Amino acid sequence: MSLLKKIDEISGSYKARNAWLTFAIVLFIAIIVIPAIFVVTKLFTEWDLVSGVLNDPASMEVIEGAVWNSFSIAAIVTVIDILVGLPMAWIMVRRDFKGKKWLDTLLDMPLAFPTAVLGISVVMFWGAPEGITIPGLGLDLSPYVMLLFLHIIFTYPYMVRSLSGILEQIDVNYETAAMTLGASKWTAVRTITIPLFRAGLATGFILCFARSLSETGGTYIALTMMGVESTFFTGPSFISWLKSDPTMVDSGDYMGAMILISVVMIVLALILLVVVKWIIARFRIPWKKVWPEIGRSVSRGPLPKVKDVITVVFLIIVVLLPSFYIFAYLTEPIPDIDYGTLLSSTGVSFLVAGVAVLVDLILGIPLSLYIARHKGGKLAGILDGLVNVPLIIPTTALGFSLALFWASFGAGDSMAIVLVILGHISFTYPLVVRNLVGAIEEVNPECEEIAMTLGAKPFRAFRTILMPIIKSSVVAGCILAFTRSLGETGATIAISDSVSTVPIYITNLVQDHMYTEAAMCSIVLIAICFVLMMVVRMLTHRRQGRDA
Amino acid sequence: MPEIVLDDLCKDFDGHVAADHLSLTIGDGEYVCILGPTGAGKTTAMRMICGLTIPDSGRVLLDGRDVTMDSPDSRNATMLTQTYALFPHMTVYNNVMFAPKTKGWPEGESKQIVRSMLHLVHLDQKADWVPGELSGGQQQRIALARALASGSKILLLDEPLRALDARLRIDLRKELRSLAKEMGLTCIHVTHDQDEALEMADRIAVIRKGRIIQFGTPREVFENPATPFVANFVGRSNIFSGKVVGAGDGRVSVDVGGIVLTGRGDGMEPGSEAVLAVKVGFTRLSAPGEGPEGSVKGIVERIVYEGATVTVEVSAGSLGLVSSKLPSARFEEFSVGAAVDVSWPADKATVFQMPAGGLEEEMRLDRWQGSSWTGSPCASAISTPSGTYRSRSGTAST
Repeated sequence: MSLLKKIDEISGSYKARNAWLTFAIVLFIAIIVIPAIFVVTKLFTEWDLVSGVLNDPASMEVIEGAVWNSFSIAAIVTVIDILVGLPMAWIMVRRDFKGKKWLDTLLDMPLAFPTAVLGISVVMFWGAPEGITIPGLGLDLSPYVMLLFLHIIFTYPYMVRSLSGILEQIDVNYETAAMTLGASKWTAVRTITIPLFRAGLATGFILCFARSLSETGGTYIALTMMGVESTFFTGPSFISWLKSDPTMVDSGDYMGAMILISVVMIVLALILLVVVKWIIARFRIPWKKVWPEIGRSVSRGPLPKVKDVITVVFLIIVVLLPSFYIFAYLTEPIPDIDYGTLLSSTGVSFLVAGVAVLVDLILGIPLSLYIARHKGGKLAGILDGLVNVPLIIPTTALGFSLALFWASFGAGDSMAIVLVILGHISFTYPLVVRNLVGAIEEVNPECEEIAMTLGAKPFRAFRTILMPIIKSSVVAGCILAFTRSLGETGATIAISDSVSTVPIYITNLVQDHMYTEAAMCSIVLIAICFVLMMVVRMLTHRRQGRDA
Repeated sequence: MPEIVLDDLCKDFDGHVAADHLSLTIGDGEYVCILGPTGAGKTTAMRMICGLTIPDSGRVLLDGRDVTMDSPDSRNATMLTQTYALFPHMTVYNNVMFAPKTKGWPEGESKQIVRSMLHLVHLDQKADWVPGELSGGQQQRIALARALASGSKILLLDEPLRALDARLRIDLRKELRSLAKEMGLTCIHVTHDQDEALEMADRIAVIRKGRIIQFGTPREVFENPATPFVANFVGRSNIFSGKVVGAGDGRVSVDVGGIVLTGRGDGMEPGSEAVLAVKVGFTRLSAPGEGPEGSVKGIVERIVYEGATVTVEVSAGSLGLVSSKLPSARFEEFSVGAAVDVSWPADKATVFQMPAGGLEEEMRLDRWQGSSWTGSPCASAISTPSGTYRSRSGTAST
């Protein structure tokens, strides 16, 4: 208590507050932003290694292929997400029906699944991989198509959430007004509501694209189960593959290839972020031309129903069934799981995720406060942009870059667990800060100001007024970051071989073709994540109940 | 005892001047209304007093003590805002308890204070409710109780009645003022509602573009405006521009397109450009030939029935449209198209020198409104003061 009082006192001084903000910004830049892009400097200092790879046509072909696969898969997946996510967002926001709550929970489920688990589940469902006794659909899909199916699953929730977030804010009266002025439903939606979607589309696009670009664990596992992990690559899976081959690790080729692909992925991702923002700012969704006849005919009759049915069927067949298919293993006899290893890796996972989220909060709160309360300011704008950087960079490249950065300070393998935590801080930080900024913006700044005129020091106003109001959003953001950390494979592998988190343990089991054991471990992990998600649901729903 | 001195305050927000060498002295226990158009710097002035905004230059003194750089929690000046800013996660009781608890007062005493404040605003029954469950008027009272329970002797009210419906707003004016007087508070009440200011204030400060342009009792500000802007902003005025033809003895005569009008004024050279303003309420109408000497002949153009009053618009030759506000008992005396005599007591009209930036610039309420009104040829003479002016300038220039 007296410590809080002390902080209350200190917070009264401008200098102390500025110092705290500066400290948070400096730390954010020093341990999150710079390490994330540090590898770019290696392009110059280790040019010999890189040029070695550049001059090797065989390696270059592989790298080009990997980069092309990553970006084209991300692009196709994002476009599909938009097409099927838009009608889904409509159903979630503008419709009321029985079981809506259930659907709402189901939509988030893929977020609770570690992607490594999804990888197993999806390949089991669509294909017929060797060594798995449970029959799937048994389709003979190419690795490329299989990855498309996989990536749609874990990007889909991001798109639907971003779009429905915006749709909730678009007053339905605009549409109604357009319809009373003679527009058909379709024309009203197309010319009024959709053009207002730009911001949501941008967020959804960036989130989905970045997530797909980043994904390592599930992709690598899917490729392994199909037996093509050493012939078909995406950017991140290429890094995983290089890492997994101990004979390669010590050769110069390895280092050169790692640097090259990391730099290419990071630079392309950042360029993409800028280009997408630029396009969204310039591009206007066309609304000037109308075709009343077409509008009327598609608004009536069976077409709207057909659209809804297709949306729901897509959700069930492409997203939900493949995700849950891994539970089919529950029908199999329970195998001997190495509970010791499972428990210890679960412990490591929780330690990493827990510490990362804690640091996210401590560093994220002052920054979020600043960004939220200085909207339109220059520094706030820059910080806002920088926060997105670790989000868009593929986590594998980020992890590799971060490991190089700290290695240059002499951090070796003894520090591995610390480095892994730092890596997880990097890619979970944006999730926490995004949530915090959103929540703080919703709160009337006058509440804190009045509290101060009533005699509260700034920190006291913060902890007695703002914090309790945004508590549930903070918890939601933390659990989102926590599950994201729990499910992460790529960054962990890229940083260290010695830290074994659950997803890595599962990946190793798959590599050893111990599918049943991998599946059982996955189910345990899902159960843990699911419990966490339910806590979020309860917290957020209680909040909504009170607001109403 | 709390006396508030604002000394030469300046504040600039990215090029928008919110305070321009603003100075004001408010006495202990005084109830002052700050009146001004949107964007004039009213809220900024209040925020500088309670410490939520730090001025670029100048000083804020409370009781003679320089508090310019002091933090808000140490000033004992609290604010009541438009949105009330009740803490949504606390019950009514805990909202009011916030300041006593924060200031670490003894528990028994605090409880008593909170109870008596809730009683004072007639909301003892709602102590366990949360703000979201209360009506606007109740929320406003809770915010007031919360402010009063803090022991602050300076109460800053930022458009506290704005979000309430019209009837409640009028009822609460008296209540708020008498409460403040009873408790010996020094109050600054920001509003853009002139009726509110005229009814509640001991003194009114009219603010525009970050400057105080007049500070005086409601009657002074209403009957003896310092500038044409004040004349039109506080109560509607008929405004005419013309050339000075005679001056002396505290009277000035102005020639408006051939008609000579007289009003109070000093130090004006014959031949110079001038503006004469007279409140619509002081503009009298009489039957043709029955008006006092110097009456202007006109034809009734429009009659607007307003309940307690009736506004008659008269087309009076080169003066253009002249409005007159009369008790509605006289409604039946007039009919559209009838001839009337227009007049006013010379000491109720004020003559100003033509403002340097021209009359149009002087009357402008704020940036966006000014530009949108000029484009509108049918600007209503009823809806806004600037509208009255615009329609007349249009007539006068043609």
